[in-house]
Amino acid sequence: MNPDLALGGATLALAAGYYLLAAAIPTSLLADDVGPAGLPAIYALLLAALSVLLMVRSIRRGPAGASDRAVESEIGRRSRIARVAGLLGIGVAYVVVVPSLGYLLSIAVLIGGTTYYQGGVFNRYVVGVAVSGAVFLWLMFVVLLGIAQPPGWWPVPF
Amino acid sequence: MIVPAAFAGVAWGILGGALPGISPSITMALLVPFTYGLDPSVAIVLLASTYVGAEYGGSIPAILIRTPGTNAAAATVVDGYAMHQQGRAGEALGISLYSGFVGGLFGLVVLVLLTERLSTVALAFTPASYFALGMLGLSVIASLGGESLIKGLMAGVLGLMIATIGTDPVTGLNRFTFDTADLLSGIPPILVMVGLFAVSELFMQSGETGWEQTAQRSVRIRFPSRAIWRRIALPQAIGSVIGTFEGIMPGGGGAISSVLAYNEARRWSRHKEEFGKGSPEGVAAPEAANNTVACTALIPMLSLGIPSSNSSAVLLGGFLIHGLTPGPLLFVQHPEVVRGLYAGLFAANVAMVVIGYVIMTPCLWLVSRPKPYLMAFVYALVVSGVYSIEGSLFHVGLVLAFGVLGYVMRVSKMPFLPTVLGVVLGFMIESNYRRALVLSSGSHMTFIEDRISAALLGLAMLFIIGSLLRHLRDAGARRGEGAIA
Repeated sequence: MNPDLALGGATLALAAGYYLLAAAIPTSLLADDVGPAGLPAIYALLLAALSVLLMVRSIRRGPAGASDRAVESEIGRRSRIARVAGLLGIGVAYVVVVPSLGYLLSIAVLIGGTTYYQGGVFNRYVVGVAVSGAVFLWLMFVVLLGIAQPPGWWPVPF
Repeated sequence: MIVPAAFAGVAWGILGGALPGISPSITMALLVPFTYGLDPSVAIVLLASTYVGAEYGGSIPAILIRTPGTNAAAATVVDGYAMHQQGRAGEALGISLYSGFVGGLFGLVVLVLLTERLSTVALAFTPASYFALGMLGLSVIASLGGESLIKGLMAGVLGLMIATIGTDPVTGLNRFTFDTADLLSGIPPILVMVGLFAVSELFMQSGETGWEQTAQRSVRIRFPSRAIWRRIALPQAIGSVIGTFEGIMPGGGGAISSVLAYNEARRWSRHKEEFGKGSPEGVAAPEAANNTVACTALIPMLSLGIPSSNSSAVLLGGFLIHGLTPGPLLFVQHPEVVRGLYAGLFAANVAMVVIGYVIMTPCLWLVSRPKPYLMAFVYALVVSGVYSIEGSLFHVGLVLAFGVLGYVMRVSKMPFLPTVLGVVLGFMIESNYRRALVLSSGSHMTFIEDRISAALLGLAMLFIIGSLLRHLRDAGARRGEGAIA
């Protein structure tokens, strides 16, 4: 599928959803003539119009109007998206586990996990970097700057 | 504390700028959460000094490994790497450092002379004027679309939509909060910037796996000889002047100014034939330009509250976190912050020379680290730093979401700065637009009758028309080249 056509479709759907949400904003007796929904509705219509323009342009250009970048194989595209999803998953996992495990352990797991994910190797060097990186960040944020990080379930505030 | 902050910011900036893929804005964004507990003056100097350091730091890999550490160092690669191949890397780094110092001082003088004068004009602003000012800032989007004006405008509208999340500025009603307490006060612009800039970069690099390292032999910086000093004086002047205009212009920046400076330096050089083959002027001009921009890009941000570049947008985020609102009132309510910034920037430019000389070895070590370690550390820094802003894991999740948005935008070739502009200016535009209409009993003529508003809206129209014409001309030229090909 033409990438610009897909992008236009996605932003058109976003504009429609945003418009519906804006229309659902309750009116207030304190409201001015424009109201809280006024400009959001305009933004939604603007985005919809631009999305349609983009889709029309991509259809008119046809195959020759496709993106200038080299055509990527479907396997390559899926592989790229999978890589991004994996890295995103590491970040999401951190958000999920840090309230339980606490900052020091969780950040060490994040550093080690990302290194393994990108490097494909898990050895004592990776463990060493993960542990020392976590200790360094804990010292910097919690001890030096006095900025609290999630303590977790540990009795001692990590 | 300002001088140590300047030194620390420059050191961090040089290290960040030396890492390819880590732009000055990302380097600054990573540092913002660390400034949360600091005195506002110190925090602002720390961030601004980071910008100064990063502009020099980008030239280190440009000269040594033919990879610009920042976009602004792209022009330095041409002659800088050529000098390295001739065994003159130390001389190239010395010229870069010295020219950056000259350009930075020039930019600082312009910053001090122009900023407060411009802000005095802004004291006469009404809500209509502020609305028009916001529209002028948004009109920059017309020049930021790259190859696609439509995508640039879409990115800008996305930013405006993000800015509507939270509490309505007039009625106090909740909008697009989905009954989430974390969204009641809206989305802090810094979260959007860290997500779009830093996290999306991580996602872009996720496909580059492996443990490649770039071995670097030791290099010592050599400052220019007297003969070279005389020879690079004109290109430094050219770079400084171009950097001044490009820095002030919204949408301008280090990358554009360094390329323009390189071209003009070659045009006026008596040794044109040396350009591209290791000309010291080819290093001096772009480096002077991009360090001038590091100061002059702050002028519209400080005086009017309008960021003209990604980095000044991040600095604006830093101001907002510390409860400071850039604009004319900053000079009245917090003059110590402004004076501290000026002093800090002077210290930063001096620090750049000192630290640039001693930091070479750690820089070389850092640049040659395996990428998995660097990515892991940046990821850890992002999640730790974002949590530090308000102690909210929800914010960490938001930054990851904006990272996904940034990745999609990059793959779709949508520019970031329009989105950042929309987020930063959206609240100001909407609140002042509606206030102006309330004051005028609903009459839109107020935007014309207010002279400042009319002038700014006229400027915005001129800017948009000029950008549109340039865009159409460039599109026509590209179609012509395609036909010939």
